[in-house]
Amino acid sequence: MSLLDVKNVKKIYTTRFGGSQVQALRDVTFSVEPREYVAIMGESGSGKTTLLNILASLDKPTGGKVYLKGRDLSTIRDREMAAFRRQNLGFVFQDFNLLDTFSLEDNIYLPLVLAGKKHEEMSKKLMPIAETLGITALLKKFPYEVSGGQKQRTAVARALITSPQLILADEPTGALDSRASDDLLELFTKINQEGQTILMVTHSVKAASHAKRVLFIKDGEVFHQLYRGNMTNEEMYQRIAETLTVLSTGGDR
Amino acid sequence: MFYPKLALTNIKKNGKTYIPYLLTCVLTVMMFYVMNAISRNTGLDQMEGAEALKAILTWTVVITGIFSAVFLFYTNSFLVKQRKKEFGLYQVLGMDKGNLAKMMTWETMITSAMSLCVGLILGTLLGKLMFLILLKILHFEVPMKFAVEPKALAATVILFLAIFFVTLLFNLLQVQTANPVELLHGGHQGEKEPKTKWFLALVGAVTLGIGYYIAQTTESPIAAIGKFFIAVILVIIGTYCLFTAGSIAILKGLKKNKKFYYQSRHFTSVSGMIYRMKQNAVGLANICIMSTVVLVLISVTVSLYAGMEDAMETRFPTDFSVISYDTSPANIEKENQIVEEESKKAGVQIENRSNYRSGVFTATYQEKENRFLLEKGVGSAYENEGFRSLELIPLSDYNKMKQKNETLEENQALVYAPDDEWNSDTIQIEEFSFHVKKVIKEEILPNDEIGNIVKSILLVVPDEQTIIEMKKLYGYEGADRLSYGDHFDLAGDEKAKEAAMAAMKQRITEETAESSSEYKSEYREAFYMLYGGLLFLGIFVGALFLMATVLIIYYKQISEGYDDRNRYQIMQKVGMSKKEVRRSIKSQILMVFFLPLMVAILHVAFAFKTVTKLLAVLNLTNVHLFFLCTVGTVLVFAVFYAGVFWITSKEYYRIVQ
Repeated sequence: MSLLDVKNVKKIYTTRFGGSQVQALRDVTFSVEPREYVAIMGESGSGKTTLLNILASLDKPTGGKVYLKGRDLSTIRDREMAAFRRQNLGFVFQDFNLLDTFSLEDNIYLPLVLAGKKHEEMSKKLMPIAETLGITALLKKFPYEVSGGQKQRTAVARALITSPQLILADEPTGALDSRASDDLLELFTKINQEGQTILMVTHSVKAASHAKRVLFIKDGEVFHQLYRGNMTNEEMYQRIAETLTVLSTGGDR
Repeated sequence: MFYPKLALTNIKKNGKTYIPYLLTCVLTVMMFYVMNAISRNTGLDQMEGAEALKAILTWTVVITGIFSAVFLFYTNSFLVKQRKKEFGLYQVLGMDKGNLAKMMTWETMITSAMSLCVGLILGTLLGKLMFLILLKILHFEVPMKFAVEPKALAATVILFLAIFFVTLLFNLLQVQTANPVELLHGGHQGEKEPKTKWFLALVGAVTLGIGYYIAQTTESPIAAIGKFFIAVILVIIGTYCLFTAGSIAILKGLKKNKKFYYQSRHFTSVSGMIYRMKQNAVGLANICIMSTVVLVLISVTVSLYAGMEDAMETRFPTDFSVISYDTSPANIEKENQIVEEESKKAGVQIENRSNYRSGVFTATYQEKENRFLLEKGVGSAYENEGFRSLELIPLSDYNKMKQKNETLEENQALVYAPDDEWNSDTIQIEEFSFHVKKVIKEEILPNDEIGNIVKSILLVVPDEQTIIEMKKLYGYEGADRLSYGDHFDLAGDEKAKEAAMAAMKQRITEETAESSSEYKSEYREAFYMLYGGLLFLGIFVGALFLMATVLIIYYKQISEGYDDRNRYQIMQKVGMSKKEVRRSIKSQILMVFFLPLMVAILHVAFAFKTVTKLLAVLNLTNVHLFFLCTVGTVLVFAVFYAGVFWITSKEYYRIVQ
């Protein structure tokens, strides 16, 4: 069984005064298997953020269904939604979304505290993760005291600490310099190899080239997909770039 | 036409912050005008004792004026802070600073014109009402005209134009000195977690403790005046220290307690509160002090007014009283004759009469040596807890007044000590020493006027010779003789009583030597003038402060709402439910809102005892009445407060969502 099943998802936005309608997602279907590392690529306005919001259950699709481990997201009641997200999904955002009133440690604890976990249990969980991400020495610092890369690693730690089924990453390298980006992508590969399923939305070719599979979205549909197979990152990069060129020069399927 | 239009749209677009600001402007204009117009009303001069009232009113005008200026400036600075980003954007879009200044000038012109027009129109309408209320409070029956006062209009317009002009200058300066990028970011840098200032927290706790202690332990009303002032200063210092340092120390302590801190209910609230207190501690302390002032001011003035008849009763225990310093038999006989003649003429009966010669001293009782030291001056030892008013009465006068047949040997005395338990069998006054033959328990004199303020002790001595001697040695100038007092009530028709008392007073002044007399109803109007004026001031200034308090809190919450929005959105993304968000918001706003009120109520509770002593100086001894007034004031205040809390938390939640 797939971990995530997206079936014929459609999203139509209606402008506030009921005027014109905008179709953000036309008909998206794909699935993600456990332990996979999938990147979704597309230009601005192609609907990738809308898709991610729907997957994160922050938004509801106009049509179609999303199943996580076979459970239909639309059947989850609002009251349980926050807890469901907390237990099954981890998020990494482009702008980190760390709380400036919390130390890095407390930022990482946040989802666990919301879940009502005990402090001893939380700190037991934190240590190995902080070790992996190389932020053990920074835990007592506050977000404004550390660099962008360190902030993003903290955000990754926060996503990992609940041991989620799936990590959703929205342009995780978008606000980082190239070195920090490389480090973060290495990290993603590493945690994926340890068995963590990752779904990343990006328009960076380099970021996508680390994934095992890349989906291309155009005009609200999955236009094409690319499997890594045995390719190296460089070869993958090459293939993605070629595909994008074909996409943007308007090649039909 | 571009700039005026732009200015108007800006005001409309920023309604959430501009409407309360405009409301504030209108209200302050209105209040200032009303107060100013009333204080200039010529009709008031017809009343007796109007000078005291006018002085009070003028004070109110000055307070209102200063307050308006400070307050408008404060709210304006909130406004500018909110709009910094907008100003930055305009500059990035290509407006230069001159254009921006033009736009802001137009905005100020529009808001000033609007608030002045509406404020003055409402002011003239409300002024009439307020004036009627004032007259009602003062028990002034004659209907009077309340016209538009051109001078008050002019004063209001000039003052507020000046205020608006200064705020505009301030705003322009803000924009001039900042660069567009800074404006765009508008201070969204991460802030450091505040450090715990243990020393300051300690200072706060100690000063507050001492202040409370002083307020609780002061017994003598006169001493209360000076000590109360010290206590107030200490409590104010304590409040500021505890709000700024104490709150953070407590919150950090909570944070250290991992079991407590890492619970979803406390986690976000505690860390949020630390930052909130860092930014708002001073503001909250201000609100706390202001609320305390309002509560005390209103409860005091209301109870003074409500207890006015009681106070009159205390101040004038009998209907009529005479004091004469010529104690020659002829003079006393003459006075007696006048009283008898006039009461007969008016057809009223004399009751509860007590007339006797005596010598009054101010003394300090030294408990260790069981001895009284006499004061040569007045008031030097008022602050002293051993302070006593000492009255010596010759035996003959006592026997005559009370129809008794007491006898005393030389150096024997009867003691009446209503405020002390008198156990010693001797009484020593400077070098004069008496054996106490008997301690009198029954009331000798009708509750005399200063009895409520200072403790008194009364001595019946064998003859007047000793008293005269003591007076010569220790009496101060003008009071080195015996005096004769005559106090009585009159029974009969009210009008006849009035007439009799007026006639008596006039004849006593004219026909007897060195005498003065007073009666209650003569002072009633002056009492109403004074206490009514104070009530008006209390309510007016109280309302002004309340309005300010409320608006400051509203603005604080709204501007924080915008800051917190981001934070709560992150929390929701990370998995906080809407319910949890709402709960966290509620608990924090609740704290910020009600902490100042709670502390203010605590202050009032601790001040209660001392304030009752102060009220005793103003002849109000009805503690029960004052208690009711205080509780009532607190309740009314709390209701207003809760209303604002409700509106604000709703608005806040809408922003954060």
